[in-house]
Amino acid sequence: MLRITFTKVLNGAKLSPKHIYVATRAQSGEVKKPEKVEVFIDDKPVYVEPGTTVLQAAAMIGVEIPRFCYHERLAVAGNCRMCLVEVEKSPKPVAACAMPVMKGWRIKTDSEMTRKAREGIMEFLLVNHPLDCPICDQGGECDLQDQSMAFGSDRSRFTDIEFSGKRAVEDKDIGPLIKTIMTRCIHCTRCIRFASEVAGVDDLGTTGRGNDMQVGTYVEKLFMSELSGNIIDLCPVGALTSKPYSFTARPWEIRKVDSIDVLDAVGSNIIVSTRTGEVMRIVPRVNEEINEEWLADKSRFAYDGLKRQRLVTPMIRDCNGELKPVDWEAALLTVAKVIKNAGSQVGAIAGGLADAEVLVAVKDLLNKLGSEALCTEHTFPLDGSGTDLRSSYLLNNKIAGVEEADLVLLIGTNPRLEAPLLNSRLRKGWIHNELQVALIGPKVDLRYDYEHLGDDAKVLKEIVSGRHQFSSKLKSAKKPLIIVGSELLERADGAAVLSAVQTLAANTPSQDKDWKVLNILHKVASQVAAFDIGYTPGVDKIREGNLKALLLIGADEGAIDKSDLPQDCFVIYQGHHGDQGASIADAILPGAAYTEKQATYVNTEGRAQETLVAVTAPGRAREDWKIIRALSEIIGAKLPYDNLNEIRCRLEEVAPHLTRYGSAEEANYFKQAEQLAKKIKIQLDECTPIDVKIKELQDYFMTDAITRASPTMAKCVQAVLKQKQSKY
Amino acid sequence: MASQAVKRTIKEVKPILSVDREEARKRVLNLYKAWYRQLPYIVKAYDIPKNVEQCRERLREEFTKHDHFPDIRVIDMLVIKGQMELKEIVNVWKQKGHVMTYFKDSLEPKPKDFLSKFLSGKE
Amino acid sequence: MASTLLRTTKVLSKYPAFTKLGASCISTSAVRNTDPQIKNDIALLKPEEVEHKKKLQNYITVEGTTDISTVTGIPEDFIKERRVRIYEPAKNCMQSGTSNIGHWELDFDTRERWENPLMGWCSSGDPLSNMKVQFATKDEAIDYCEKNGWQYYVQESKLDKKFKPKSYGVNFSWNKRTRVTTK
Repeated sequence: MLRITFTKVLNGAKLSPKHIYVATRAQSGEVKKPEKVEVFIDDKPVYVEPGTTVLQAAAMIGVEIPRFCYHERLAVAGNCRMCLVEVEKSPKPVAACAMPVMKGWRIKTDSEMTRKAREGIMEFLLVNHPLDCPICDQGGECDLQDQSMAFGSDRSRFTDIEFSGKRAVEDKDIGPLIKTIMTRCIHCTRCIRFASEVAGVDDLGTTGRGNDMQVGTYVEKLFMSELSGNIIDLCPVGALTSKPYSFTARPWEIRKVDSIDVLDAVGSNIIVSTRTGEVMRIVPRVNEEINEEWLADKSRFAYDGLKRQRLVTPMIRDCNGELKPVDWEAALLTVAKVIKNAGSQVGAIAGGLADAEVLVAVKDLLNKLGSEALCTEHTFPLDGSGTDLRSSYLLNNKIAGVEEADLVLLIGTNPRLEAPLLNSRLRKGWIHNELQVALIGPKVDLRYDYEHLGDDAKVLKEIVSGRHQFSSKLKSAKKPLIIVGSELLERADGAAVLSAVQTLAANTPSQDKDWKVLNILHKVASQVAAFDIGYTPGVDKIREGNLKALLLIGADEGAIDKSDLPQDCFVIYQGHHGDQGASIADAILPGAAYTEKQATYVNTEGRAQETLVAVTAPGRAREDWKIIRALSEIIGAKLPYDNLNEIRCRLEEVAPHLTRYGSAEEANYFKQAEQLAKKIKIQLDECTPIDVKIKELQDYFMTDAITRASPTMAKCVQAVLKQKQSKY
Repeated sequence: MASQAVKRTIKEVKPILSVDREEARKRVLNLYKAWYRQLPYIVKAYDIPKNVEQCRERLREEFTKHDHFPDIRVIDMLVIKGQMELKEIVNVWKQKGHVMTYFKDSLEPKPKDFLSKFLSGKE
Repeated sequence: MASTLLRTTKVLSKYPAFTKLGASCISTSAVRNTDPQIKNDIALLKPEEVEHKKKLQNYITVEGTTDISTVTGIPEDFIKERRVRIYEPAKNCMQSGTSNIGHWELDFDTRERWENPLMGWCSSGDPLSNMKVQFATKDEAIDYCEKNGWQYYVQESKLDKKFKPKSYGVNFSWNKRTRVTTK
């Protein structure tokens, strides 16, 4: 239990686990491994691949070279000069981030020359950097602050006898999410590189040179990207900070809770920062297999929606048709009475934000009552293998696998806005791996070039039959991928689409044995878990069921209406936001949002992950599965789990992968699924063009109950619409 | 989930008071006897609304609650703690209220079953 | 019991004169420079007590994991109802430094906080919410939890990145998409 820093000193900065990856993972798939080069970092030998930079070589043995402009996920710029190190027999210090190592180099990362170089650079940077750390939002988590403490001079030569002041730069307005204080900018150009490489929006750049250099958008315009928030993280100083978070909290007074984002089906890992029982901000957490270290804007900024429109107390609709707040006892008794009277004529619809625990609790309860009317709000074809075989509804090749592909066919999806982080992977492959992309569907802006094959369903048919010009490309590709949007499968002829795609995937060869061609991209976080547990996709069952009681579990997309239900059907809404679902409900049971419960979500790859409690639910709201558990006891069909461990055991019974957190279970039976799919009778509807709902950036921000309640998201929509009218 | 597999390992550790089980047992019995003999004086000196018999029952309960520890160091620590408690009582460093907390009379029982926990807002 | 615990001190105090006498015979500087051949306390003990004292210097064997939850003084419901998470913290995405990562940590589940009616500050009834303990390895953390009788679970992180040499030259390659156009 030694403090880590202490152990590190004891071991002489021995390898910590994070540095070992090099040896184990380095280019395992390459045909021929190039000869390793020996270099010495502070007299310690290290063997590296040729072409490795000095900075990377040092990182391998745990020596961290200070940097501002270098970022391991961006191109090398080499303009901050903070990483200057001494190389023996070299007259000048070299920039470690850009210089590849040569055989036998002796690199000194802590020599007199190196230290002097760093001190000089720090001094230059601080000449024009304002000393406003006390009022700067970056204060406390600022690279410049830390590095000036560690490597800067202990006294100032900045006397300013002319009182000319420091350099000042006008602030830019780049939208409602990012606040700019450009005087603080140290011209590291990380934001520029992020914008042009990762986001694919080439809006940021520099103007002027020397002391007059400025980073900006040339003309005043919105930074129109769904990944814009990441430049806040990238900025090593406080030049780019979060507008909604500005002046609200300090990094040292914040409590950080690791969690999972549920606003899309990617399941990005996040850190929820809280203070005084309130979510202050959400930032990404590194997960190399999912989101790397990026986060989409919706996930990052929609947290203010968690404080508005919340359901904080149980409510029952009284005789005047008004929802009146009641206490839990009254609410549960009323609802239990209704459900008891309904007998087996009770149904449930699970919305896009429902977690696996509540899904399994509701299923157990309804099954106990003799009902099978358990549906998900978003539909999926049931013909063929339907949701019985996992491979037909998962992103089988995993998100990280997208990078390796050499040909991707997108069908009926707009990954940029449905799963921005998947799109950033696609873009990464497009840049670094010469990935080719083709799309069937409406011509949307993906921020990289792709071949548009048209939005006709006929095209799909032609490709399947091999008559289309694209078929040969697909056949000759080494690692082809087909990504199908779940929205396309919601069409009336979804089964035919799925069948066609399954056939196409089966006929598309790939060189890698473990390579999975067929991939389905979902739009909501709960869908995969719901299918795994055994919910029926689509609400047809509810429409036909002649139900007396209907339980909506956060179902807010308006899949069902009062008019679809019998007159005397009692609607119970359980969820966290007063949205569509709550407005048609006769009783409301307030649940917890994703930051307020320890719950399981399965992302579109089939990877189970859990959210953790960051703050407790507001008012009388409770964790969702506990409400169902309490209700079951009052109904008289008591569910056999009392705590989280017990319900997790039940989850494990239903589907073991649901509790194997962090790992994505492999899905198989592609062949069987394809054979079953061949038997379906529905024909592909060739007249209706393939369409997606979310086409442009303004459609992206408000898609569910949380984001619709968020003022920040509303501002984003406004800003995008305004920008669309601007001449730039 | 918590896979708390019990590892069957044998460790060498520094003893606290006793070097073997027999000795630890003796210490426990000694402590028990000391308490037992002190009980009448406690009841009298502190004027508590319990009789000696009730106190003995409580004493026995307290000792049997901890009768399952395999590690003699834990037994030794408990003995030391028990000794401290006894000393505090004998020297009247405790007051009546402190003595009565052994009986937990005024403690409101927490809700145990799921539903009452749910309704009382504890869960 | 008390007598066994306190025997050594009692025995010593019985013969104050003797110890004094012994000290006064020799000059003080001699005492400082040479160790006494026979230690006073041992000399005064019975043979079996000396034996016991020697044994205490040695080791004893214990089997299995020791559960110290009864002697730590932590209230029972804080031990039984808490879930401890053992995890490997990821790098703070706001900064590029890596010195404060590369270890394992444990923390407890979050409990309710509320606004204090007196000053409007934040209150909590959970002393363990501030407990974050760092360990060099996962096993150390697990042992620690088992010793304290906490329910724990291990959260594995996906922090390993595939190594790829960085190159400054690709910014200027004329036939690749890595070419940088914006400066």
